[in-house]
Amino acid sequence: MTQNRFANRREAFWQGIRDALGAPVLVLFAGMVGFGAMGHSHGFDVWMTGLTSLLMFALPGQVVMLEMFISGSSLLAIGFAVTLTSTRFVTMVVTLFPQLHRRDRNPLLYLWVHMLAMTAWAVSMREFPAIAPKHRLNYFIGLALPCWLISPLGTVLGYFVAGWVPAAVTLGLVFINPLFFLLTFTEVKPWVNRIAIGLGCLLGPVFYMWDADSSLLLTGVVAGSLAYVVERRWLRARPVEVQP
Amino acid sequence: MSADMQGWGVWLALSAACLGTYICRAAGVKLSGHINQDSEVFRWLSAVTYAMVAALTVRMIVMPLGLLATVPLWLRVLICALSLMVMVSRPQRRLVPALLTGTLLMLAYGVFRASP
Repeated sequence: MTQNRFANRREAFWQGIRDALGAPVLVLFAGMVGFGAMGHSHGFDVWMTGLTSLLMFALPGQVVMLEMFISGSSLLAIGFAVTLTSTRFVTMVVTLFPQLHRRDRNPLLYLWVHMLAMTAWAVSMREFPAIAPKHRLNYFIGLALPCWLISPLGTVLGYFVAGWVPAAVTLGLVFINPLFFLLTFTEVKPWVNRIAIGLGCLLGPVFYMWDADSSLLLTGVVAGSLAYVVERRWLRARPVEVQP
Repeated sequence: MSADMQGWGVWLALSAACLGTYICRAAGVKLSGHINQDSEVFRWLSAVTYAMVAALTVRMIVMPLGLLATVPLWLRVLICALSLMVMVSRPQRRLVPALLTGTLLMLAYGVFRASP
C-alpha cells in the first residue's frame, strides 16, 4: 500500500507536520530549553544563545561549543571539535536522501538539509519505507520544519526562565533528549542496524575515554563496519537456488 | 567571565561552529548524489550512522555534561531501563507513555532530592 498512503504531496507535507507535533517537537523543545538555561548560567547573551540554535541546530555540537568557549579553548580548536561532533550529519544525510525521488534530488536539498537533526532523521528512517518516494521529501519538510522553528523559541524561553524554574523540572527536560533516541532504537528493524546500535553503545564510552573529540566518528566506523561484516557473513539470507 | 566573552570572540566561535556543522550537512548532500539506496555502501553507511547515533545517546546518558551529571549513574540507567520496558510492553508504539515515564521519574527524583 506504499503508493496509496498519500493522495498528493500536500497531504504528505501535512502528515509530516502532524507527526512532528508530538514527541519530536517536544524532544527538541525540551533539549533547547535546557541549552538556553545553560547559556544563561554561563553568562552568554540571549541573541548569541538563540542564534546558535537557529543557525547551528545541532544540540551536542552547541553544548560542546559552549563548554569549550568557557574553558578558553582557541577558535580553531572549537571549530574543529564541533565539526568532528557533527560528522554524523554526513552519514545521516547520505542514508536519508538517496531514498528521495529522483526529481527531488536537486540543489534545493542544500537548503532543506539545514533542518535535518537527529530527531527528524530517526522518524524519517522509520517512516520512509511506508511512503512512496515522490511523497517523501514533502513529508520530511513537514516533519523537520516545526522541529527547527521550535528550537530558537525553546532556547530563548529557557534562557529567560533559567534561575526560577526548579532544578527538578530542568532535570526532567534535559533527560528527554537522550531518552527519546534510546527509545527509537527499539523501532529499528534491519538486523545490521540493530547490531550497529548494540556495538555503538558498548564501544562508544570506551572510545570516548580514549579521545573525546573523535570518539563518535571512530565508534561509528568501527562498530558500523563490524556490524556490516557480521550481518553480511552470517545473517544475510542466501540467494535461493532455483531447482531445475 | 572575561570582558571579550560578549565581544567578537564569541561571535567568531559561533560562526566557526555553524560553518563546520553546515559543511558536514552539505557534504552529506554532495555525497548522497552518488549513492544508490540498494547498494552495499548504503547498507554499510547506515550501520555506521546508527553506531554513531548510539554512541552519542549513550554518552548523553552515561557521561552527561551539566545538571544530569549530578544524578547517580545507576539511577539514570534504571530509569532508562524502566522507560524501555514501557516502550516494548506492547507491539504498538508507546513512545509518548515511555517518554513520560522516564521524564516524570527523573522529575520525581529531582523533587525528592530537593526536599529536606
